[in-house]
Amino acid sequence: MEWFLRNKVWATTALLVLVAAYAFYFVNSNIAVSMFSYAWFLAVPLVLGAMVGVIGERSGVVNIGIEGQMLVGAFAAFFAAAATQSVIIGVIAGALSGIAMGAFLAFTTVKGQLDQIIAGVVINIVATGITSFYYESGKTIPRGLPNFDVPLLSKIPLIGPVFFSDGPIALFALVIALVLHVLLFKTRWGLRTRAVGEYPSAADTAGINVVGLRLFNVTVAGTLAGIAGTYLSMEATSTFERDMSAGRGFLALAILIFGAWRPMRALAAALFFGFMSASASQLQASNVVDIPQQFINLLPYVLTLVVLAAAAGRVRAPGAVGQPFVKGD
Amino acid sequence: MKAKPFLVAAPAALALVLAGCGGSTGDTSSDGSSAAPKDCSSADVFCIGLVTDKGTIDDKSFNQAAWEGVKALEGEGVQTKYIETKDSKDYPANIKQFTDQKYDSIVTVGFLMGEATVTAAKANPTVKFIGVDQFQDAAKTAPNVTGLIFPEANAGYAAGYLAGLMTKTSKIGIVLGEEIPPTQMYAKGYELGSKAANPKISVAKVYHPAGPNAFSDSPWGAGEAKKMLAQGADIIFGAGGGTGNGALGEVAKSSGAGTSLFCIGVDVDQWETVPEAHPCLVTSAEKKLVDGTTELLKQAKDGSIKGGNFLGKTGLSEYHDFDSKIPADVKTKVEDVIKKLEDGSLKVA
Repeated sequence: MEWFLRNKVWATTALLVLVAAYAFYFVNSNIAVSMFSYAWFLAVPLVLGAMVGVIGERSGVVNIGIEGQMLVGAFAAFFAAAATQSVIIGVIAGALSGIAMGAFLAFTTVKGQLDQIIAGVVINIVATGITSFYYESGKTIPRGLPNFDVPLLSKIPLIGPVFFSDGPIALFALVIALVLHVLLFKTRWGLRTRAVGEYPSAADTAGINVVGLRLFNVTVAGTLAGIAGTYLSMEATSTFERDMSAGRGFLALAILIFGAWRPMRALAAALFFGFMSASASQLQASNVVDIPQQFINLLPYVLTLVVLAAAAGRVRAPGAVGQPFVKGD
Repeated sequence: MKAKPFLVAAPAALALVLAGCGGSTGDTSSDGSSAAPKDCSSADVFCIGLVTDKGTIDDKSFNQAAWEGVKALEGEGVQTKYIETKDSKDYPANIKQFTDQKYDSIVTVGFLMGEATVTAAKANPTVKFIGVDQFQDAAKTAPNVTGLIFPEANAGYAAGYLAGLMTKTSKIGIVLGEEIPPTQMYAKGYELGSKAANPKISVAKVYHPAGPNAFSDSPWGAGEAKKMLAQGADIIFGAGGGTGNGALGEVAKSSGAGTSLFCIGVDVDQWETVPEAHPCLVTSAEKKLVDGTTELLKQAKDGSIKGGNFLGKTGLSEYHDFDSKIPADVKTKVEDVIKKLEDGSLKVA
């Protein structure tokens, strides 16, 4: 009850959305399931990308290199899987490449105090360069990551087929948002991370190793970006295309802000964006209204902007975001 | 604050290393012996140079097809050579390598090289330029440039006609890249063709929303295909580079691929380029690049080539593994339509 009172707006919205979704489902289950599945399909990399941002910015490091980290993850996963013909090795390579990219950002910005924006831009440029240069066409992987049904949960109408009948990374994205929420707000690590991101010198005075924690967090967050990339090249598709991340890393940053730097809200925001895209695509494909498709395709972006503008005054970035921490400064 | 300049220097150096790649050249001489380069300025030798678009000469797509078209002319008194472009800013430099060596004819591959081609043609009025997939605007072009272009609408029509005959659900889909004239023409042809084969058909059509990545967003294409399949479409035409390939891959992964669900590729025979689509890929709406390039080069050699635009042929690729699965009467009807499109008795306006 107390929880509900504290989260009145969000809880009510969530409830309304759920009711609306089921109403839609009972009117036309086929279209509803396909649209919500599509929304979640598009949202998965955005959720994972936003989690990378949540961890980074909550510890005081802006990561605009998510796009590049994702792209390298997609590249490494696909080509490792193609070279070894092993899906597992592909996934591991994707995650490891994410760690490497995360470590690059961590060590340059936290240890070396390089400007965080510049480090992120470097990641994006290098990622595009490396992945286009070493790209080889005509490679195949034995198969993508398979979809599977989660026992019991996949039987729930609507929610089951949408969230619990997908591949392993989609499920992971759902779980990680929940886990990260708990970690960030209920554990010692979470409290320290938030302290380091809000007021590092106070955290330092309290005896927290600011530099160490930031290094750890940003590096580990990179794994998630690598996994998001793996999703693109091995679960959503089984192919790698140049620039296939297609701006998803930047969209994830917008979703991070829209989600007020909170994992669960970011998840909701990503789903919102996914559903807007689904609506746009549905309007376009079904030809029910005669509007030029460019306008329809603007819909998700415009609506996201509107919501972002409406939410803008209410959300606040962590206090020390973007500032390198120098002991005794 | 301590400054650590190496942190800037290291990534910068890395970026420079990655950027420092001009173009690599390749000699032809199919037997491998690198024959002494002939003097292209002499009248007995006809020299053909090909500049690829970004990508390699064996890309199983436009570059490779155009190069095969060039190689078809190899023989006595013909020298052929290609340059692979690594970066779009090298287009003029790569073309210049050939003009400096007094090549007689230069083939440039891809829409993006159009401007560089016309500029080079104006500077070298005696060289015959062939621009693959480069529409020539009469106001801007030079008389020694011929654009090899393809009526996408015809290719789309043939694909749509086949889809219309094969669909069991009377619902088909098309996943496109950015909305630009070539994709619009594919879509238009596809819709008209499918309606001609099956008047009851409904076609779900989507263009990619965002500009710069519209042709490389395979996850988006896969998502669209997934949604269309869930809503009952059973044949999907992926027409938009990597974005379309994503759609093909998604159909191939779905249960029923090859038995009740099919996909159609685009531009080249995608059986070769998108191996992961084999389970569902019945055919591709193909631009016959090899034949078109060869035809134009022959004209360039005997001097009959004209500036402006040259309309290449389009059609459907081989059916490969689906050859035995497609009913004979369907094949005959489709062949009939392709013939009519070619001789102009059927017009997709």
